[in-house]
Amino acid sequence: MAADVGVLSRRGRLARWALSAYALLIYVFLFAPIALLVLFSFNANRYGTFPITGWTLKWYRSAVGNYQIHDALRTTLEVAGEVTAVSVVVGTAAAFPLVRSRLRFRDGIRIGFILPIMIPGLLIGVSLLVLFTGTLHVQLSPQTAVIGQSVYTTPFVILLVSARLQSFDRALERAAADLGANTFQRLLRVVFPLLLPAIVAGALLAFTLSLDEFIITYFLIGTQITLPIYIYTQIKFGITPEVNALASMLVAASLLVLAAAFALPQTMRASRRAVRFGRAWRAARATP
Amino acid sequence: MSESAIPAAAAPQRRRRFVPALAAYGGFLPAAVLLGGFFLVPLGIIVVYSFWQVIDYNVVHHWTLDNYRYFFSVAAYVSTMWKTLLVSLVATTLSLGLAFPFAYWLSRYVPRRLRAPLLVLVVVPFWTSYLLRVYSWLTILGEKGVLNRFLQWLGVTHHPIGLFLYDRPAVVLVLVYLYFPFAALTLYSSIERFDWDQLRAAMDLGATPMGAIRRILVPQIRPGIVTAVIFVFIPIIGEYLTPQIVGGTGGVMIGNLVVNFFQAAEYTRGAAVSLLIAAFVLLLLIVFRRSLSAPEAYGG
Repeated sequence: MAADVGVLSRRGRLARWALSAYALLIYVFLFAPIALLVLFSFNANRYGTFPITGWTLKWYRSAVGNYQIHDALRTTLEVAGEVTAVSVVVGTAAAFPLVRSRLRFRDGIRIGFILPIMIPGLLIGVSLLVLFTGTLHVQLSPQTAVIGQSVYTTPFVILLVSARLQSFDRALERAAADLGANTFQRLLRVVFPLLLPAIVAGALLAFTLSLDEFIITYFLIGTQITLPIYIYTQIKFGITPEVNALASMLVAASLLVLAAAFALPQTMRASRRAVRFGRAWRAARATP
Repeated sequence: MSESAIPAAAAPQRRRRFVPALAAYGGFLPAAVLLGGFFLVPLGIIVVYSFWQVIDYNVVHHWTLDNYRYFFSVAAYVSTMWKTLLVSLVATTLSLGLAFPFAYWLSRYVPRRLRAPLLVLVVVPFWTSYLLRVYSWLTILGEKGVLNRFLQWLGVTHHPIGLFLYDRPAVVLVLVYLYFPFAALTLYSSIERFDWDQLRAAMDLGATPMGAIRRILVPQIRPGIVTAVIFVFIPIIGEYLTPQIVGGTGGVMIGNLVVNFFQAAEYTRGAAVSLLIAAFVLLLLIVFRRSLSAPEAYGG
């Protein structure tokens, strides 16, 4: 393992260097396209590509001033907010019986819950299109898109929250019961705070997934547009620097949300303290 | 699972009797409505639709196999289906092939404290918009793209080459780009648990490094490999956006056919083609069902 570093044969050192160089290339491959996109968003040339003819912020100004983008942004945020609310509530509720109830086919049910992630999004989109327009005769709207996206984002919340619930020390709840807390108080003051990191992470995840979702929304949103759909209609005609600017802003937004999700382990420290407390409590009960 | 037995024993007997099933299983209710009503039911409707007919833009409840017959009677559709399978196979193989040495490097040669940040770095592009990651390749492969500019600057060519974009190789390249992080993540999480002493022991006994990797490491991480194959292959076979943006006419995949049918209001034919995709997905899951441990795939 880590001890390998330092005690390698000549051939081993060669392999390490070759693989390190390879890994570097992989990182270049992963980041170059996005880096170029950002680079070109500051380029004065109106073709959105090389050569660099000067640096400018005008594409950002025109993107920020574009009313179509305003509308798309408003719809996108509305949809993402509703999707986040739906998936957090539905996902968290489902995580409890999934982990805590006696279930005969727990693994089967678990796989059933993540099926919407495993199946291509295209199928979710077209099948809901048929349900809404063919069977229910509902007008397509941002709300139908919310339903479609929630089908796809909720499983992520279920996975996150149920993983957290699995590692949850039930002794904490019993300790609270010993101290006189009723079911509701235990849920509100013990279980919920401990699950919060997973719930918030799930919410952030659902929000970013919704922000970027294209194919399901494309089928279900009707005449309205979200940012991904706006970008899609623009790039049908090639690269435009304005889309580059919009894209760069979206990438920055995604990374910010991601950073927030990664900052969560900080908040989780409180729950580790609680786990230690739970252990201590059990030890105290064991010794008369 | 031993946990679930504890509270039952600890909870007062009186309460246990009065707690209705609703309290135990009620949490499933919203999920059952959402995923049952808006995932399973629509899929069922698609199945039914694929056996019905559209006459004068109206769906007629007339059972028939015509939609499937029609699909397989048009040579272009059938060849698109085979090409889709080919593209999915090649892109999956390349993703895993590229990811394996990377995961090997990360778990064998990188000091432990650096592994997590380096892994996060691989996943970061995965969290930026999927559409934008496809789009970003237009700026590289396009006629005025970086690659052409570079070749012109080198003097290799004077006119932009249209070759890079709007064909199948471009689709494969972008798909590998899109799904590499998934492959790398899955492979890394199983290689990470490997005991490297076994590899050293094999080499002490005379195995070549490659032989040791092939015969000791690979068999042990097989579940990880299978998971990676499944989770890369499945989304690729239902791809729509990548072939649409960088594929041109040569790169059309089965997902584009589905969208075309639905946009032309030929719902029943579209349903039949969607079911073909679902059938391939199902086939894959059945073939690999033993090695498939879904919770493990998501680190749950």
